[in-house]
Amino acid sequence: MKKYMPWIGLASRLVLGGVLLVAGWLKVPALDKSQMAVRAYEILPISFANIVGQILPFFEVAVGILLILGAATRINAILGGGLMVIFIIGISQAWARGLSIDCGCFGGGGQVEPGTASYLPEILRDLGLAALGFYLYRFPHSKFSLDKN
Amino acid sequence: MPQKPQPGKDNFTRNLVVAVVVGVLLIMLVPTLLSKQSDSSAASPATASSTNGYGITFNGELTGVPVIDIYEDFQCPVCAQFEALNGQYIETLIAAKKATVVFHTLSFLGPESVSAANAAACAADQDKYLPYKDALYATQPSENSGAWTSAALIEIGSLVGITNQKFANCINETEFAGWVTNVAAAGSKANVNSTPTVFVNGKEINRQTDYFNADNFKAVVEQG
Repeated sequence: MKKYMPWIGLASRLVLGGVLLVAGWLKVPALDKSQMAVRAYEILPISFANIVGQILPFFEVAVGILLILGAATRINAILGGGLMVIFIIGISQAWARGLSIDCGCFGGGGQVEPGTASYLPEILRDLGLAALGFYLYRFPHSKFSLDKN
Repeated sequence: MPQKPQPGKDNFTRNLVVAVVVGVLLIMLVPTLLSKQSDSSAASPATASSTNGYGITFNGELTGVPVIDIYEDFQCPVCAQFEALNGQYIETLIAAKKATVVFHTLSFLGPESVSAANAAACAADQDKYLPYKDALYATQPSENSGAWTSAALIEIGSLVGITNQKFANCINETEFAGWVTNVAAAGSKANVNSTPTVFVNGKEINRQTDYFNADNFKAVVEQG
């Protein structure tokens, strides 16, 4: 088992990093929408949500690229995994409070027609991604990584 | 446990990569944050002011009438449906001076929303905002398909009787680009998370019942 683990690490890095990179990249050209997506969760005060909506896409791209390259894997794994946990909390509370929103995970976002929101698949996907993050935090050693320790 | 650095085993490359990636993204982020700030010195169409969220305002001088704030994006198909259903009624209210109506032209769907919002502001300064808005919705292409070029937006103006050079220049030079950003920033501050979004006297109307039922919409407006 031990000798396959660096390969599992590589796969985890590519999946979690790839998802973060794509998710961030799609949002960068449409920051107004990204702000709207964050506001729609109705957790943060409006002005703070607007700032988060602007910074988050860039943060996702940075963590995504660094995970794909395997640079500072452990730190980026916990950042990426932690982000997924925050998303799970956000989506769950929206679901529990009966909000009708698009999660805005890959761009888009905001309110949607009542009854058309699909929260469960989003939560399950983010749970899987969070698990990859925590696996990498626990076992950061992986193939084709820039980390040399 | 700290290890002694060994030749060829140090993390120089990795640290360099981390620094470059983080640095480049910060450099991209900072101008983006600055460009989202509203700029009160930007040119605005005559009927828009910062006090009404930079929206294009009709009957702003009236008191004691309902104030209707409409947030829409010219590229949004649902906005076109809303306008098809309620636009005529809203224009009647404006003509009869029975309501103050503020149009907030949001632009979150992309570059052609910015072009269309700018063009509508140009039309507002020709006293043709309402017919121009209707013409935009009537010819609404799919999102960012490239259809709303400057030439096309000028052509739409000619459909509603705007043929002068000032209008064409206003579109060609995106004269109100700064204003479009201001409208978007004000919409963010007003917590508008969807288009269309309609406020009557500062309160959002009911998304389940009031937007796509013309009778309910009228009732909400009349109750103020």
